[in-house]
Amino acid sequence: MRENTRLSVAHLVRDPVLLFLVILVFTGLFLFILLPLYKIFSYSITTNEGKLSFQAAWDILRSRTYLQPLKNSMLLGLTTGILATIIGYVFAYALTRVDMPLKGFFKTIATIPIISPPFILSLSMIFLFGRNGLITNKLLGMEDSNVYGMHSLVVVQTISFFPIAYLTLTGTLAKLNPAVEDAALNLGASRGRIFRTVTLPLSVPGILSSFLLVFIQSMEDFSNPAVISGNFSTLAVEAYRTITGMYDMRGGSLMALMLLAPTLIAYVLQKYWLSGKSFVTVTGKPTTSRRQSRDPKLMWPLFAFCMLVSLTIILFYGTVLVGAFVKIWGINFSFTWAHFKYVMTLGWTPLRNSVVLALASTPIAGLLGMIIAFLVVRKEFPGKRAMEFISMLTFAVPGTVVGIGYILAFNGKPFMWTGSAFLLIMAFTFRNMPVGIESGTSTLIQIDRSIEEASTILGATGAVTFRRISLPMLKQAFFSGLVYSFVRAMTAVSAVIFLISPRWNLATISIFSLFESSKYSDAAAYIVVMIVIIIVVIGGLNLLVGRLGNSGTVSSGGSGERA
Amino acid sequence: MRKIFLSMMVLFCLLPLFSVGAQGTPEYKFLTVYTALPESELPTYFSEFEKDTGIKIQYVRLSAGELLARIRAEKGNPQASVWFGGSYDNFVPAAKDGLLEAYQSPELANIPKVYQDAMGYANPFYVGAIGFACNTDWFKKRGLSYPTSWDDLLKPEFKSQISMAHPSTSGTSYTILATIVQMRGEEGAWKYFTALNQNIRQYTKSGTTPPMDVGLGEAAIGITFSHDGLKPAFEGYPVAMSFPKDGTGYEIGCMALIKNGPAKEMANGKLFIDWMLSKRGQNLFETSKSFRIPVNTQATPPKGAISVDSLKVINYDPVWAGNNRTRLVEQFNKVVAAANNLK
Repeated sequence: MRENTRLSVAHLVRDPVLLFLVILVFTGLFLFILLPLYKIFSYSITTNEGKLSFQAAWDILRSRTYLQPLKNSMLLGLTTGILATIIGYVFAYALTRVDMPLKGFFKTIATIPIISPPFILSLSMIFLFGRNGLITNKLLGMEDSNVYGMHSLVVVQTISFFPIAYLTLTGTLAKLNPAVEDAALNLGASRGRIFRTVTLPLSVPGILSSFLLVFIQSMEDFSNPAVISGNFSTLAVEAYRTITGMYDMRGGSLMALMLLAPTLIAYVLQKYWLSGKSFVTVTGKPTTSRRQSRDPKLMWPLFAFCMLVSLTIILFYGTVLVGAFVKIWGINFSFTWAHFKYVMTLGWTPLRNSVVLALASTPIAGLLGMIIAFLVVRKEFPGKRAMEFISMLTFAVPGTVVGIGYILAFNGKPFMWTGSAFLLIMAFTFRNMPVGIESGTSTLIQIDRSIEEASTILGATGAVTFRRISLPMLKQAFFSGLVYSFVRAMTAVSAVIFLISPRWNLATISIFSLFESSKYSDAAAYIVVMIVIIIVVIGGLNLLVGRLGNSGTVSSGGSGERA
Repeated sequence: MRKIFLSMMVLFCLLPLFSVGAQGTPEYKFLTVYTALPESELPTYFSEFEKDTGIKIQYVRLSAGELLARIRAEKGNPQASVWFGGSYDNFVPAAKDGLLEAYQSPELANIPKVYQDAMGYANPFYVGAIGFACNTDWFKKRGLSYPTSWDDLLKPEFKSQISMAHPSTSGTSYTILATIVQMRGEEGAWKYFTALNQNIRQYTKSGTTPPMDVGLGEAAIGITFSHDGLKPAFEGYPVAMSFPKDGTGYEIGCMALIKNGPAKEMANGKLFIDWMLSKRGQNLFETSKSFRIPVNTQATPPKGAISVDSLKVINYDPVWAGNNRTRLVEQFNKVVAAANNLK
């Protein structure tokens, strides 16, 4: 063991770029993840008189107000995680493996739900299925439909989070070397058998990553449960209400920190499951282009499924779109531009701020995500596991606590950063990069190390190898990471409550405030403008990332130089 | 490719430069405010204030509970000078924790003693009475009349039609709980809430949600403050307020100076508090369409707002309410859990 460490230290010293990267990443992780978490933890266990006390923590652990919401959150996370991963997988499989009509349409629709600040979906849910809902009341004549509770939450969360599963799994499936599947096909295996024995087992890393990401997101989701959970209380909301409703910042922070426990267990289980197995299919040997299935018996059911999901999404977003153009949503459906005028005048500054900050954090989060994924999968250095582990931490903690931790850590010497754009950008970066890391790691696991080794043997430095060999192969994962960090930065609610300042006010906070004053249509118009901006940016990112190399496969791996 | 990589690296290294904020000018004409009032009302007060004094207000708008948490977390280096809006019971823990600067405006001379803060930190600037937000369509369709007493809410025709926030998560709802306890004594209050539980559609998390539920047709009645209850009505939703004739509680909206806020803003902060409490500031509740009731006896209450004098208001004691909070909320949880088991 000690021998290993000494070897990896020696390796670090020999490779200055690697050394620099490791130090840079660790500094970032320490400052923007560990320090805030440490601050909030030590705040929670210190009494007003400045004494350490675990009494509060112990009381919470034993209380019903903690245990019941914890059970609820776990149940919700598991349900949403499984559903979203299944839907994401079917979508990814259909779009990468099957030749079917309307692919472009499905691709666009499947990425839309990550775009909106999620409470607007909850609002759609109420307008469509509530007591006065368009479908339940106006169409079906129901008087007493119950829209509040876990069932609605599962629907809304599945719609909001399945795109992460879809993006992660597309990366995995697109990377899965077709030669393996083709070989099975040539040997006479049926499509079904290939799927069961080749495709599915090889996509396990992607499936587990997806599930983990959705599970964590569902556990820490604040805005959906806040609007639509009814009497079904979840831990993230309960922690928030303990802080803002009971004025108990210590208790609330502790509850939120304890949310880490189930997340970390899921995370460790995932790593344990993946360790010691090989998922390598990209080996550097020449590959033929993928043959897509044209079997109608496979295509039409998949098509129907994708269509059904897409129509549901369109229904929910259509409701928002209609809401943005009517005088009084749900009451007076005559057409008006007034809400857009409102957004363009009073709402413009926060919107611009949101875009600027999200744009600034996106490349950093995306690149950092790839670097960490690369370091963790490919390099040997001391503290590797710690790096992987720490980088996931803020993703799993409810935003409220991250925000409070950031104030406690950065509102005094030596780091006077509160109210600055810099702090918001860092919060976005370190909170949103795990999606990039996860999709990056699950992609890299598939790629044979010998490809990079070949580059090193031919005399390329570590940095050149990363840039010219690894990064182009990580293109899809990089793209997922970028898109996701941008969207999450644009739509963050609970984390920024404590970080916004008069200079850097953000759109989501304005939307939430409109929502609370029953100005649903103004909020909807805001969302529509936001969606348009995000689609434009995603299009731009797609072009930019596309220039990293024509395809992710090795045969064109060197073309990254063109950029 | 290499260029992208390099430019990203450069960007990363340049980032800290963003952190340099705007610096003050010698004659300071700015004021930073944390406010819990709705965004739509703010331009009215802030632009009129700027017109009168030349001081420009920069603000962050959050709910009162969020503001308290934020001010608490920022204690070491407060970022704002004035906390503007939020019910008095948010200011009690803030004052106790040493987050507020003692300041009592000279304008308080024109404001009735009952609304004032005995501790000397909060400056009351409006009153909002608890009432019932009713969905007018629902009542019209069934030919029923609006509830006008607390006992009316227990009527069987309102089964599963009432929306109320949960007192453990909402200041509004805690005010309701404390009001009933003070009106009927603890025994009577628990009896009342057990019976009321039959008619509750849902206990919402936030105090602003019940009137929204009513506007959207999710509930027929929402128990809420008048200024929150009339918001959906102002947006065009079928909501009207009625009030219990047997007496009701109220919230006192307050503002205060934040302790150790930016020093150069201190004078401006005091000026703003004085201005808001003056007849000039208090008359703006009409312009801002907020339906808040001014506390300055020389101001004119806005049309459509309910005047505190016209209601039978019980003697609501916020200090008592604050001190008994934990115990009462725990008891409420037990009572409701027991009532749910009987259902």
